[in-house]
Formats: sequence, structure tokens, C-alpha cells
Amino acid sequence: MALSSVSQTAFLLALLSLRTYQSEVLSEPLPSAPEFLKVSVNSTCQCLHLQWTVHNLSHHQEFRMVFQIEISRIKTSNVIWVENYTTTVKWNQVLHWSWESKLPLECAKHFIRMRSAVDTAKTPGPRVWSSWSSWEEADVQNSLGQDPLFVFPKDKLVEEGSNVTICYVSKSHQNNISCYLEGVRMQGEQLDPNVSVFNLNHVAFIRETGTNIYCKPGQGDRIKGTVLFVSKVLKEPKDFSCETQDLTTLNCTWDPGSDTGLLKQLSQSYALFESFSGKKTLCKHKSWCLWQVAPESQDMYNFTLTAENYLRKRSVHLLFNLTHRVHPMAPFNVLFKNVSATNATMTWKVHSIGKYHTLLCQVELYGEGKVTQHNVSVKVDGAHLFSGLEPDMEYMAQVRCANGDHFWKWSEWTQQNFTTAEAAPSEAPDVWRNVKTVQGRCVVTLFWKPLSKLQAHGKILFYNIVVDYLDRTSVSELLSIPAPANGTELPLSQCSSQIRIMANNSVGTSPASVIVVSREPGNEEVEEERVKGTEDGFPLSWKPQPRHVTGYLVEWCEHPQDPPCDLQWKNLGPNVTSTVVSSDAFRPGVRYNFRIYGISTERVPYLLARKTGYSQELAPSDNPQVVMTNLTSHSFTLSWKNYSTESQPSFIQGYHIYLKSKAGWCHSGSEKAVLSDDAAVCCKYKIDNPEQKTFVVENLQPESFYEFLVTPYTSVGEGPHDAFAKVTTPDEYSPTLIRIILPMVFCILLIMITCYLKSQWMKEKCYPDIPDPYKSSVLSLIKSKENPHLTIMNIKDCVPDSIEVLNKQEGTRKSLTETESTKPTYLYLLPTEKRYSSPGPCICFENFTYNQAASDSASCGHVPAPPKAPPSQLGLLTSPENLLKALEKNYMNSLGEIPAGETSLNYVSQLASPMSGDKSNLPINPPEPALCSEYKMQMAIPLGLASPPSSGSSSLSSVTLLDEGEHYH
Amino acid sequence: MRAQLMWRTLPSLVLGLLFLSTPVMGSCLDKDQELLRQLQKQADIMQRTSMLLNPYIQSQGLDKDGLKEHCRERPGTFPSKEALQRLSRQEFLRALDTMLDHVLHRLKALQRDIPKAQDLETLNRAKQNIRGFKNNIHCLAQLLPGSSETTEPAPIGPGTSPSPTPTPDTFQRRLEGCRFLHGYHRFMHSVGQVFREWAESPSRSRRHSPRRGLRKGTRRVPLSRNKRLLPRVQLPW
Repeated sequence: MALSSVSQTAFLLALLSLRTYQSEVLSEPLPSAPEFLKVSVNSTCQCLHLQWTVHNLSHHQEFRMVFQIEISRIKTSNVIWVENYTTTVKWNQVLHWSWESKLPLECAKHFIRMRSAVDTAKTPGPRVWSSWSSWEEADVQNSLGQDPLFVFPKDKLVEEGSNVTICYVSKSHQNNISCYLEGVRMQGEQLDPNVSVFNLNHVAFIRETGTNIYCKPGQGDRIKGTVLFVSKVLKEPKDFSCETQDLTTLNCTWDPGSDTGLLKQLSQSYALFESFSGKKTLCKHKSWCLWQVAPESQDMYNFTLTAENYLRKRSVHLLFNLTHRVHPMAPFNVLFKNVSATNATMTWKVHSIGKYHTLLCQVELYGEGKVTQHNVSVKVDGAHLFSGLEPDMEYMAQVRCANGDHFWKWSEWTQQNFTTAEAAPSEAPDVWRNVKTVQGRCVVTLFWKPLSKLQAHGKILFYNIVVDYLDRTSVSELLSIPAPANGTELPLSQCSSQIRIMANNSVGTSPASVIVVSREPGNEEVEEERVKGTEDGFPLSWKPQPRHVTGYLVEWCEHPQDPPCDLQWKNLGPNVTSTVVSSDAFRPGVRYNFRIYGISTERVPYLLARKTGYSQELAPSDNPQVVMTNLTSHSFTLSWKNYSTESQPSFIQGYHIYLKSKAGWCHSGSEKAVLSDDAAVCCKYKIDNPEQKTFVVENLQPESFYEFLVTPYTSVGEGPHDAFAKVTTPDEYSPTLIRIILPMVFCILLIMITCYLKSQWMKEKCYPDIPDPYKSSVLSLIKSKENPHLTIMNIKDCVPDSIEVLNKQEGTRKSLTETESTKPTYLYLLPTEKRYSSPGPCICFENFTYNQAASDSASCGHVPAPPKAPPSQLGLLTSPENLLKALEKNYMNSLGEIPAGETSLNYVSQLASPMSGDKSNLPINPPEPALCSEYKMQMAIPLGLASPPSSGSSSLSSVTLLDEGEHYH
Repeated sequence: MRAQLMWRTLPSLVLGLLFLSTPVMGSCLDKDQELLRQLQKQADIMQRTSMLLNPYIQSQGLDKDGLKEHCRERPGTFPSKEALQRLSRQEFLRALDTMLDHVLHRLKALQRDIPKAQDLETLNRAKQNIRGFKNNIHCLAQLLPGSSETTEPAPIGPGTSPSPTPTPDTFQRRLEGCRFLHGYHRFMHSVGQVFREWAESPSRSRRHSPRRGLRKGTRRVPLSRNKRLLPRVQLPW
């Protein structure tokens, strides 16, 4: 019972409190529904702009109210947006509210309504909303115009990566409208029968003039489009920094990033705001800005750099103390004072940054291939002493400074060069020599290397050479060789001498380099050893010398194949017994000779070792020039004596002789080899001794064809396998036959000549054609028997029947042409009363010796008539005496008329006579005219071919063989 | 020796003076021909699409399939070749001058849509060409008869006035600009042909190609004026 009374009391209290609250609220006037004044559309920003008022507000009454706004699309029931907008409302105030649509507002109708309520956020409980206003319609399509097609939004500016909605509005009810983004067709969705929407996600920047989007119907050439301006996203400025050089101006710099400028949007602008002073400046440049430092010595600065474009704003902040951001200007007026051979003082000036600040300067010195660094504190002027410098050396010094109290940044370097003064050369020149004897005198060729810059301490002007003869009999000699000579030839009066060489510059003389030339030629019999070169050079080693040496020296020629071999040397210490000689001049395939000398304590060099080798051996590029001799049917000899093994690109180890034959098999001493070039099989002979330069190829087949090649072989290969020489072995019997037949033929010829000469002698002696009675041995024999009755027959006692005219003349020979013009000589032997003009009984001689045409005629009648002889003369011939006289006369005439040359030929007169018998039976009566004697033609017979007459034909012809040089007619 | 030298140099001196006197005595006909050839060459160059249209298409992104086909001259923007041929020489030159003024005005408007300095340089070079061309037209017009009293615009038919104020829409403005440039190059091609006809048929008695008129004008124009006008010719090459 008590419980029920308590609960009743509580209910009554609650009801009472509720009544009390309601009475308080309802005591204020409730706002009526908002009244729209204007609903407008901004196509540029795709915004709906609302203006409204709230009635029922009393004067001076001010409420914080909430307006609930609903936006529907296409139809009122399709609410797409609900938002509570809270603001303080005064009496008679026009309220504004904007809403940005993602869909271009031209693409669809939009409806807006709102209601209001007093903001009861301070008091709990539900809001008491006013009633909804009526729906306001925002329809832009009605105001588009008469075009059949529209594309929206127009010239929209978005950032790269944004999502954009495009739509087209068609008024011609065409369904086949295609839309393209930069030529690529877009796929959209239909919002209503005349409107299609295209959603573009993450649009990209294409060009500053924007992205073209266009639509066109399937038929007709109408095209509508829009340009979407896609901007790059504005980024925060990077590396924002401010510094001062003189504490009066701050220079702020930053990296602006990419430019967001478009055709429809300017590039981003930059502004600098300093919060302590509240000052702001617009920057004229995209990456830097100047800020004037406040004269009231403001130390702290808090800068905000703002980058801004149409779409976005970005800011960065920087807080710093001005004195901590001092970046001094570069030092100036850098000078060098008191420059000596080893010291120099550098001075410079700096731009002041205030009397309370000290600058820290850094000095660097470049020279001798190294860098030295020093730090110097400076107020206004700086100075630094460089010591320990090299004489005559060019140095580069540079200086930069920074705030010594609060380091921020170094200034730029300021550079200056200087050169130290010259000093006397510090080192003796490196000298070597070559000694030779010319006409009994020692001639020393001195070589020296130019001193390095560090040794010369200046420009070397000349070299002094002092020759001191060790036997003291000769006066010392002094020579001065002007630089830049690096050697000289020096004929010495005596071999034993000490030579000192000194280099001189403008300040002084270097220490002397001493060379001793000994009378003894030195140990030239050192055996040469081979050394193998490597990539690093030639490793040379030698035995340590038992006697004390001051050092060793290795000499070689860098260009051994050229006449000036470019002698090089390398000095080594007394404890060194090996070295590696390297040079850029070493070439593969070139043999280098090294001579290692020990230098005695008396400075006398003596030869220790000789080395030779190649930096890299190469295969021979040429084969020897081979001479083939002693070719027989079974062998031949090859020789290549002129082949020099020294000048080859590698050490010759021997030779290979390749022999190609058709037989295909090889004799002992050779082996079969297949040439890599043409895969030919041949026999290979091997010679292991490189100095053996002859070889006899044996066991060959007669009348066979062979090819051979001699090529050297080395450790890196053979010579080229080309140019095989060819040879064919001769017949086996031909030499023998030649050896037999040739002497036989010679002997036979000799015998024949002997026989012929003998027969001539016999004929001349025993039975000459015209015996010479005075020379006849028969007569002499008779005479010896003292037969006085026997005497030589006188010609007057003979009755001639034929006359052979002999014209003997010595020492002359008539030429052939001259004899042809000779007229024939006619002798009328028999007396006649009348002359015959026509062929008739006659006896005549006709000289046809050289008249071949005439000789062809067989009849004497064809012979032209002889010249007429005086009758008296003919008459005289009837008697033998007269005849003889006439003969003698004619004979003499003939001698007188016939040129001497005609007598040089012999001919035989042939008389065809019916009579036969010896000459003693001469016919007394002359032959009958009717029986005309016939003369055979006369033929010229060469002397050598004349043969003795045979006995059988002697009656018909008589042949006279005359001695050479004798001529008869 | 000295007399010989004088006798040798005297004839050459006289010849030299004669040659020098030729331009002084003035053959305006030669100048007219030169001017005409100059205008022909200039028109040949200005008709090349590489001078304006192609860079514009490239910079505005109109070089896409389905888009560049719409970059065609709109009828009526520029007078046709036939319309130009129908004009007398005076009318032709006046019409040409007027059209080029319009072109210059339009190019100035197009300049706002070209952000790149390189493209702007191309545009400025084209504008200089047009100004030089206009100067030459002016010089040639001075040689025509009745050049001083005719000032009214030429009746050039449907293309009298170029397109009106460009649309504010960037895309449409871009397309219109492209079409305009296409028409400009075509127009300059027609102009070049008309000039070529003038040069090829100097004695034709057609209305627009009186060679005689040029000769008359040559006589009428004072020599000093002719000499003064010629240096004003700006050659684009």
C-alpha cells in the first residue's frame, strides 16, 4: 500500500515537471517554415544557391536555428541530399546556402525543400521542426537554347586524379549519340531518355589546353563537346630555406615542384608571411623571394610560405634565428706576398657581417699533387703563411669563409694561383753511357734523363760535363751542353776517365753524377739468357755479387728494331737482385735485350748478365725464303741460309718441312700431318735446331710432283701454311743418257772433222785437181832420181782442147750482188770464118755462175749472143800459138776486167763431149758445128760442201777444189 | 699611259651611269611585276597549313579521329575563289585588305587560347606575315587607277563578314578557331591563284585583270611615292 502511494506521488511530480518545461518553451514564438526567396544555379561551379528568410521573428530576437534541406533529383521522391544547416538568424535576415552537385545541374531537374527548428543543442529533447516548405524546382534545361545537343559541364577545372561526371542532353530524341574522351569512346548510363551520364574516374593531365570531350549523333555533322581542364596537383614547396649574406636582406628559396598552370588557370602563386612582424609579401618569382630584414634588429623570424592556385593552397613554415643563417659572400682581393722558393703569404679581405661576428675562413693549397687545408679566424682581413713549398712550383690557393659563431654555410671559393721562386737543382741527373772504340780512341756517348720538376727547381739551362783522366797525364776537360739536350758524344783522349755531369738552372748547379770509364772492355762473354715477359713487364733477376757494389743498372733499348734504339736504363740499389722492367713502349712480337751491370765502388760498371725475351711471343708471320738445289729423281736440297732467327716475333725452336705428294705415304723421319688450312695430308719433317737451315728431302719418286713448305715453329705456333713451292722430280735415266750420249756425239764429230781434214790433206798431197809441178812430190821424187830428161811440160807444147781459165787472186772476195752484174766471159776456141748469130755449131763457154735464170736453160742457143770479137783476133786463134797468145791476152784482160770480188767463188765448167779418155788424147780437129757441144749449167758450190770427184764421173765433169781464199774462173 | 687609262675607264663610267640611271628613270612596270611576284610568293607561303592550322590543331588536341574531320571551313566565312575572281582589281585588293584585318583580329582572339610560348611565336610570325602582305597590297593598290577615290568596302558576297563573336564555350571556340584557320589557308590559296592569273594574263580585258590598269597606274603614281612604298614590304622569309 505504501509502495503504490510512493509511485503515484512520483508520477504526479514527473507530470508536473513536464508541464513546467512545456510552458517555458511554448512561451517563445515558434518559427514558421522558411520561405524561399531565390533558387539559382551556377553552372561554373555546378552549384545550387539558395536564398531564404524566416518569418515570424520579432524585432531584436535572435535565434540559433537549424535548417534541414532536402534535395531531390529528377523527381521529388528521389532525395539525393539531406543536410542540416545551423546558423544564427536575426529578424528579417536573408539566409544563403550553396550546394555543389557532382552531376552537372544541366543534366537533370533538381528539387529543394527545407524546414527549420530552433537549435536545442543546449537542452536535451527532440527538435520541434517547422513544416516543410514547398518544393522548389531548379531546372536549367529549359534555358539551354535550341541546340539539339549539349554536353556538360562546360570548361570544368579539376585536379588530376579527381572523379568527374559528364553528361549530354539531347533534344532531338536521338539515341545513337556517341561520346569520346580524346578520341576514345566513353561508355555511359542513361539518366533519362534524353540524358546520358559518363563517370570519369581519376582523370589524368594530358595538356595545358585541356582534355577534349565531345559527343556527336550517328547522323549529321553536328558535334558538341566540352573541355575538361585537368590541373596537376599543387604540391607543398620543398627545401624552403632562408639565409642572409649581409644581415640586411633575407633570401628565401624553395623548390616549387611542377607548374600547375593551365589555359584556364594561372600558375600557382607564392606568398611569404612573417608571423612576428605580421608582414606579408607576394613573391615575384616561382622559386625565390627577397625579404628585407627589419632595422630594429629582429632576431627570430617565423616564415610561412604559401603556394596557391585556383583549386588548392599549400603552406610550409620556417622558424629561425637570423644570425644562424649567415651565408657570407666570397672573400675578395686575394694576394700573395713575400713569395720565396719555399714560402708564400696569402692575404684576403671579407665582407663584414657586423662587428660582433667573427668569420671562420678555410684555406686550401693545391700543388705537388696534394691538397693542404688550414682554418683561419678573420674579422676583416685574413692572412696565412704557406711554408715548406717546393721551389719553382705553381700552386693554387683558395679561401672561403663562414660565420664563426654559428656555422651555417661556407661562402663560395675565391681562387688565386702563385709560383714559388727557383732554387738550385736538388738531385744529380741520372746518367748512363755507351762506350765504343773508334780508330783506337774511346768514344763515350752520355745519356741523361731530364730532372723532374721537383728535382730541377727551375728551368734547366745547360749541363756541365767535366772529364777527369785517371792517369793524370791529360788535362781535365769541361763541356757545357745547352738544355734540353739529353745526351752527347764525347771522344776521350784516354779511356780511363771519370766523367761528372751536373745540371744548371738560373740559380745554381745540381750535385754531380759520376761515371767512370774503364780501359778494360768488360766481361762481354756473358751468356745470354732468355726471359719471359708478362703483362707487368720483364722480371729480371741476377746473382748477388760477392764484391762490393754500389748498385746495379739494367739497360735496354725500347725500340730495338729502329736505328736509334732509344736506350733506357734503370738504377737499382746494391741490395737488389731482381726487378721488373716495364714500359708502355714494349710491344708484342719484339725481342728486347737487357744488360745488367754492377756498379763498383769506383763507379765502374761491369756486365753481369744478358737477358733477352719478348713481352709476348707471336707466331711467325713469314716463312723463310727457301732455295731448292740438287734436284735429282729421288731427292732435292732445301736451304734458307738468309733467314734470321733473331728478328722473328718469337724464339724460333726449329723448322717444320711439309711435303705434299700424291703417294700419300711418308718415309721414316717424317710423320703424317694434316694442315689445318686446307685439311691436306702431307709429310712433316722436323728440325729441332733453329740454326740448321738446310735440309735434304730424300726418298722421292722419279717424275713425281711434290709441294713443300718450310716454316719455323715456336712456342706459340708455326708460320703461315701458305705458298707451297712446287717441284717435279726428273726421270731416273735421263741424266745417265745425257752423260753418255753427249761425249759420244762429241767424239764422232771430232773424228769426222779429223777425217775430213786428213782427206783434204791427202788429196792435196797425192792427187790434186791441178797438180803443181813445182810442188809435186812425185816430181821431186823424180828429181831426186836425177833424170835429166824428165822435165816439166811446157804449155806451148800442148794443143788445148779445153781451157780452164784460172783467175787466182788472193785476199779479196766479191760479194754476191756484185758477181751477179758480171758479164759472162766467152772464149772462142776454134777458128771460124763467120760469126753465128743464131744457134749453130759452136763451142762456147758461158759463165752462168751467178745467173740462175740463165742456168735454167739447157741449150746454148738460148744464150745471148756473145760480144763481137774483131775478125783479126779470131783469125789469130786458129793457130795454137796465136791461140795461146790470145788466151794470155784474154786472160790478162779478164783479170783486168773482172772485179776482184768475182774471183771469190769457185765454179766447175762441165763440158759434155762425146769423147772420153784422158787429157793426153786431145782432139786435134775441132768439133763439127752440127754437133754442138752442150754445156751443163755452172753451179756455185760452197767450199765446205765440195766433195772430191768420183772416178766414175770424172770423164764428164771436172771438179776443182780450191783452198779457201783462192778463186778460179 | 695616263691618257690610255682615261680612255679605257671613260666608257665603263658612262655605262655604269646608264645602269645607275635605269632605276632612277624608273620603270614602274618592273616594280609592279616584282610586287606581284612577291605577293604570289607570300600567298603561297600563307596558304600552307603548317604556318598556322597544324600547330593550332596540335596544341588544342584536335588531332583526334572524329574531331579533326570537323575542322573544316564553314561556308561564308571567307569569300570563294569564284567570288574573288569576279571582283575588279581594286575591289579585290580592298576585299583582301579587309579580310586580312578580320583575320588579324581573330588571331588576336585565338592568342588567348594558346598558352605555349612556342605556339604563340608561330602565331605572331603569322601575324607579321599578314601585316607585310597588307603592306604589299597597299603598294599594289597605289599603282591601280582610281586608287585614291575608292574607299568603300568591296562587295565580296556571302563571305563579306567573318564569323561573329566566338562562343564562350572553350570547345566550340576551339573548333571555330580551327575552322577559321582552315578557311584562312584556303582563302590565301585562292588569293594566290588570282594573283597568278594576273601575272599570267596581263593583257586580258576581264574586269578583274586589266594589265592596262596597272600600266596606267604606273604612270600616274609619282616615282618618289613608289620608291617610298617599296621598302615597306616585309618579307616573311
